Amino acid sequence: MSDEKQQVSRRQFLNYTLTGVGGFMAAGLLISPIRMAVDPVLKDSSAGDLANVGLAVEDITSEPQRIDWSVNQVDGWYESEVNRSAWVYRNDDDEIVAFSPICKHLGCVVSWEGSEQHPNEYFCPCHDGRYYKDGTNVPGTPPLAPLDEYEQEVRDGMLFLGDARPRGEA
Amino acid sequence: MKWRKDDLQQYVQAKEYIDTILLPLIPIQLSKDDQAEKYASQAEVMHILANEIEKELTGRIMLAPSYHYLNSADKNTEIHRLKMWAEDMKEQPFSQIVHITFDSGWKKHEKDINDNLLWIPAVQAGEINSKEMHRIIRDQVGQTAELIRSYWQ
Ligand code: FES
Repeated sequence: MSDEKQQVSRRQFLNYTLTGVGGFMAAGLLISPIRMAVDPVLKDSSAGDLANVGLAVEDITSEPQRIDWSVNQVDGWYESEVNRSAWVYRNDDDEIVAFSPICKHLGCVVSWEGSEQHPNEYFCPCHDGRYYKDGTNVPGTPPLAPLDEYEQEVRDGMLFLGDARPRGEA
Repeated sequence: MKWRKDDLQQYVQAKEYIDTILLPLIPIQLSKDDQAEKYASQAEVMHILANEIEKELTGRIMLAPSYHYLNSADKNTEIHRLKMWAEDMKEQPFSQIVHITFDSGWKKHEKDINDNLLWIPAVQAGEINSKEMHRIIRDQVGQTAELIRSYWQ
C-alpha cells in the first residue's frame, strides 16, 4: 500500500465527513425556525408567555403574599423547568401589583417584612437592602432601583404572570 | 454567585459584598453496587440543595465547585487538601467558608476544619422529583439559609 493512496482516501474521508456535517447543520438551520413556529409543544408556557400562577384574583389582598410557579426555559445548552416567585398585593388604587423578589443590588431573594426591625418593607438578607411597599428602594440602602414588576393579566378570575421588567418598562 | 465565567466577572466588580464561600463536601464510592447508588443519590440532592441556597443568597455567597472524595479515604488527608483550598480562596476577601455536607464522618473532625461545618442529616432520598422531596428540600433550603445568615450577624 502506498502512502499516496492512503492520503487520498483520508482526504476523501474528510471531504465526505465535512460535507455531511455541513449539510446536516444547514438542514438544522432551515428546520428549527419552522419547527419553533409550528410546534406548539415547544412554545407552551415557556419563558415570555404568561403563565397561570394558581392564584385567584379574589384572594389578593393589600398584604403582599409570596407565590411560586414554574416555567420552561431554554438557557443555552439546557432546557429546564425554572421556578419563579413573586410578591403580589393590591395597592391603594386597587390595582394588582406583582414584584419580582430578586434584589436589585446583587440578586438575593427579598422577603416582605423579612426583618423585624423594618416592618412594612421588603428586606434583603444579604446586605440589608430595603424597599417600600410600592417596591421603591429605600435610599441609603444598597439597592439603587425599585423591584422589577411582572407583566400580568387576569383571565377568568385567575392571575397570569409573564416576565419581570424594570419599573417604567413594564 | 456560581463558579462560572459570567458570575466571576461580576464577582470581581463587587468583591466587597461577597464574603462567604459555600463549599459542598460530597463523598463518592463506586466499588460497591448498593453503596454507589446511595452516594449518587445523595450527591444529586446536595447539588440541588446547594444551588437553591445559592439562589436565595446569590449576592453574598460564592458557591465553590464541590469537593469530592472517596468515602473510605482518611479524613485527615482530605482535611489537609481542604485547607489548601481554603488558603487559596482566602487570598480573596472571603471572611467565611461554609462547608456543607450529608456525611456525618466530618462531625468528628469539626475542630480540625478551621471554618464552618454545616452537617445536614441526609434525607432518605426517594423519588427526587416527587412532591414530597420538593417539600423536604424547600424546608432544608430555608433552614440552611437561615443558619448561614446567623453566621453573618
Ligand atoms: S443583594 Fe440585596 S442588598 Fe445586596
